[in-house]
Amino acid sequence: MTLAMQTVDRPRAFPPRMTEFTQRFWQGLATGNFETTRCEDCSRLTFPPKPFCPHCWSKRIAWVPLSGRGKLYAQTVVHAAPLVFQGEVPYRVGVVDLDEGLRIATRVLADVEPKLDTAVEIVVLNYRDGPLFAARPLL
Amino acid sequence: MTRSVAILGAAVLPVAKWQRPRDAELQVLEQEVLAKVVIEAVADAGIDKSEISSLAFAQPRPYTQQKYFATFIANYLRLPCTGSVQEVLGNGMTAALAFEAAANDIRLGKSRVALALGINFESAIPAVEHMMNSMRATGDVDFHAPFGFTPISWYAMDAARYIHEFKSSREQLASVSVKNRRHAALNPIAQFRKPITLQEVLAQKPIVEPLGLYEVPPRGDGAACIVLVDEDIAKAAGKPYVRVRGKGFFHEGAHQINEVPNDMIALMSAQRAGQAAYEEAGIAASDIDLAELYAPCTIIEVLASEALGLVPRGQGARLCSEGVTSLGGRIPVCTSGGLQSRGHPAHVTPFYSLFEVNEQLTGRAGERQVAGARLAVTSAELGNYNAALVHVLEGVR
Repeated sequence: MTLAMQTVDRPRAFPPRMTEFTQRFWQGLATGNFETTRCEDCSRLTFPPKPFCPHCWSKRIAWVPLSGRGKLYAQTVVHAAPLVFQGEVPYRVGVVDLDEGLRIATRVLADVEPKLDTAVEIVVLNYRDGPLFAARPLL
Repeated sequence: MTRSVAILGAAVLPVAKWQRPRDAELQVLEQEVLAKVVIEAVADAGIDKSEISSLAFAQPRPYTQQKYFATFIANYLRLPCTGSVQEVLGNGMTAALAFEAAANDIRLGKSRVALALGINFESAIPAVEHMMNSMRATGDVDFHAPFGFTPISWYAMDAARYIHEFKSSREQLASVSVKNRRHAALNPIAQFRKPITLQEVLAQKPIVEPLGLYEVPPRGDGAACIVLVDEDIAKAAGKPYVRVRGKGFFHEGAHQINEVPNDMIALMSAQRAGQAAYEEAGIAASDIDLAELYAPCTIIEVLASEALGLVPRGQGARLCSEGVTSLGGRIPVCTSGGLQSRGHPAHVTPFYSLFEVNEQLTGRAGERQVAGARLAVTSAELGNYNAALVHVLEGVR
């Protein structure tokens, strides 16, 4: 499933570093693909994607697509932010439980406070220098 | 058979903004401040400097110019040691880990007298700059920090979840700040001592919703020294002392959030560490007379009180608003004023908790004294209570 995409006309405030391994995640994200790794021995997923399984330490892993659907577990609005985020305050962040049973933390796009446990979808934010992802309530 | 550890003396710097701006002509330097606190603590213990043989330091903030601070101070105070000299780091848990390192030297018979000590100077560094550091500590630099999470944003999300699950209220959570300020008003070393009302707490500007300025920790500087001894020395000293009766540690193997969805506000690490500490002490949570918890925000005091079994799950905020955790209540929590009002010089904060418990259990807490206090619990944590270190302490008079 391909994620909805939005363009953001500025560079990311605090860009993530990319490795030979994680570049598949970030480059895929830029084209709307939301992927992570699954262990071929114990079948468990992990996020962020890793070159091994953190549960059983097997090195036999495979890339798998995520649905990009989940529920908003917790959220807050940050008013006091680090220097590089000063231009963005206030902004909303949250914890999302993906349908596949993974918990992630991300930006939340919502003008009014969403109720917790609301269904959300992951969207791609394509900045000038690369992508980030965010969650927004499903309509 | 390991040796029994006691606290025989302690001293702290009142929490305040002591650090001067980088361009100020006259600086307030960490070594001068800490040396004064150490000499006061050792005098309080009534021991001779030559008896000290281990030094366990909380690592200073990165802003402290003097590096290898522990070995620098061993020279500054002329303290040759046969046990160990070390500097430890573990985010908010730092000082509690230093206390454990000092205690371990005594438990193992490597030292008979050990100092747990440290200084945290940071207040002259603007908050927006400091957060550029701290956001890299409380989150994955590549998968959390790019979204703008700050250390206390995680606690704010706990608050949102708590209100959602337990139908608690903003007002009940805010009552923790009012209670803590009331306690701090009685504490000469507290950073903020002027009483505040619930309305004032609720009227503050939001910092991380739903928490406002008075519900999050202020920034401040602090220094502390705790004198730990083999209990035989404490017994022979002929004065009240505090015995380290139990300890527990648990790290859930997660950083800020558990990638396998769990009950984030159960603070599983505090539950597990608390159970281990109570078990080693041979007591139950109901035996505790007072608690001095590591709780940067109001919500965390509530969640830690619940996880440590001091109040029932989901009722901590309401019970605080009803006075149960106040001085004079069933189980006083943070009689020092807590991190919101006593202050939060993070790398030494757990020393301040131990200092307060030492004052209480030796009957020296003045107007804050919990009558007949004999057993106390302290906690320290890192992340979003992803790890906890809990101590049970007993007053011996």
